[in-house]
Amino acid sequence: MSARRAWAATWYGVVAGVLLVAALCPVLFSTYFTSAVAVIVLWTGLAAASLTFLAGYGGMISLAQTALFGVAGFMVAKLSVEQHWNAWLAALAALGVAVGVGLLFGAIASGSEGIYFLMITLAFAMLTYYYFLQAPTFGAHEGINGVMPPKLLGDPVLHPTRIYYAALICCVLIYAGVRYLGRTAFGLTLQGLRDDPVRMSALGYTVRLHRTLAFASAAFIASVAGVLSAWDNTRISPGSIDITRTIDILTVAVIGGLYRLEGAWVGAFIFVMLDTYARGLSDRFETYIGLVFLAIVIVSPDGVTGLARTIDRRIRELTGGGAKPPQSPATPTEGAAA
Amino acid sequence: MSGAPLLRVRGLEKRFGGVHAVRHVDLDVLPGERRAVLGPNGAGKTTLFGLVSGSIFPSAGTVELFGGDVTNVPESQRTRLGLSRTFQTSRVFGGLTVQDNLYLGALGVRGGRLRPLRTAKDAELRAAGRRGAERVGLGTRLDTLAADLSHGEQRQLEIGLALVAEPRLLMLDEPAAGLSRSERQLVTELLLSLEREVTLVLIEHDMDVALTVAEQVTMMHEGRVVMEGTPAEIRASKLVRDLYLGSAYAA
Repeated sequence: MSARRAWAATWYGVVAGVLLVAALCPVLFSTYFTSAVAVIVLWTGLAAASLTFLAGYGGMISLAQTALFGVAGFMVAKLSVEQHWNAWLAALAALGVAVGVGLLFGAIASGSEGIYFLMITLAFAMLTYYYFLQAPTFGAHEGINGVMPPKLLGDPVLHPTRIYYAALICCVLIYAGVRYLGRTAFGLTLQGLRDDPVRMSALGYTVRLHRTLAFASAAFIASVAGVLSAWDNTRISPGSIDITRTIDILTVAVIGGLYRLEGAWVGAFIFVMLDTYARGLSDRFETYIGLVFLAIVIVSPDGVTGLARTIDRRIRELTGGGAKPPQSPATPTEGAAA
Repeated sequence: MSGAPLLRVRGLEKRFGGVHAVRHVDLDVLPGERRAVLGPNGAGKTTLFGLVSGSIFPSAGTVELFGGDVTNVPESQRTRLGLSRTFQTSRVFGGLTVQDNLYLGALGVRGGRLRPLRTAKDAELRAAGRRGAERVGLGTRLDTLAADLSHGEQRQLEIGLALVAEPRLLMLDEPAAGLSRSERQLVTELLLSLEREVTLVLIEHDMDVALTVAEQVTMMHEGRVVMEGTPAEIRASKLVRDLYLGSAYAA
């Protein structure tokens, strides 16, 4: 019990430290690092967090998160570039549409579990990808170029720091929001569904409704990431949401740890760092990513954040943190009391 | 005790493919009753529980609860009407603490299951959960993960989850399964301490537990109800001995 408290305190310390570095990132590191690595880590992590939320809290491993990310990205691009909507308004509408699609997807997928849920969400991913690949109204395979963030943020090429802080604020708010949600009636119910949906139904819960709403909540997280990515890249194309990207997001989530929300950004950091710097070292970049992925999954199935916990447990065992009882059964005081 | 039955089952049938698990079962349970459903493995007891609780639907026949027909009402709604059940193998939420488990047990039958905010209601539900924990002997284990509980403690939590919903009809599927003698004693005492407002139906293979708690017994065999009576009548019955031990032992 107290060990768990101590662990939690250490963990919060680490999170606070990382947050501090993240907040000072544009000051501590180069502009290149901020715009080519850090901001991408943030929105990639956010996309992965939508999956980590579903998997860690709801036991639903979804491949549709990139699709929902894409729906929001394409909507914000279409509305702001072609319909000349105000960027904030376009973003709001894009979030609304993506959450609506998430509700629909969730309603369909909520009746399945495990491998079947995975297959249904893979079908959503493919369906969405081919729709955007072929629909002329969204630019077909070209996608939509010239997306501009709101004036407050300005051109992301000229002012990478602004989009970085916008993304950081979104990430922190969503992280805090999900952690809070996890302790509410809605969030605890979701965790109950993760552990035993049969019992939840027997306790009076409507399993499908709850799963559907959780899926829509995750769609919201993914669509914030989609809007941020469209602003940061000033464009979106079907290539941003193809099957490779879908697998990338799954990889990021698993590397970081599917069952800890922080893991999404840890995984995104490792992934984007490799993507940015390993590319220069070798053209076998994908092979390295594959090896890192393999190593992490073998050493710690719960990802990097799970690894930290595993090491902690090992240390505790080695230092004999009360695991083994003393050899002599009765101490003198006990003998005296008897 | 009023005359109208709390649970009324008529002509209930359940087939799973070629298996005829429940055959034309009629059953009345009056308010306040303590009824045990006995029978050898495969007699259809757990299937009958599933049909009454609504986790499965009958091939034919009707189920009435609290005076209304619920044959086609889904399980979660029957629970909200006041029926709680437990399971033969513990179904607790391993990744949550005892306290959070019981919170969910209390929340399920009340409004606000979708509430995304923490409110004063949560404090009430937690208080109800803590009372439930005391009641089933887990008062000191509130912050332990359910997965880290012993088998016996998980059985206690299993009953606690059903109790915190404050049911009018409590159905327990082998509450003493796999328990040590002293743990069985605790469960028996817990069941004997239930208020009369709670009607109790239990499946139990342990005759000491079943016949101590029950005042009425329904004996099932091969999907049928073969005998109803008091524990004394059941103890004296040759039929019951034959069913449990095989007729070879009857002589």
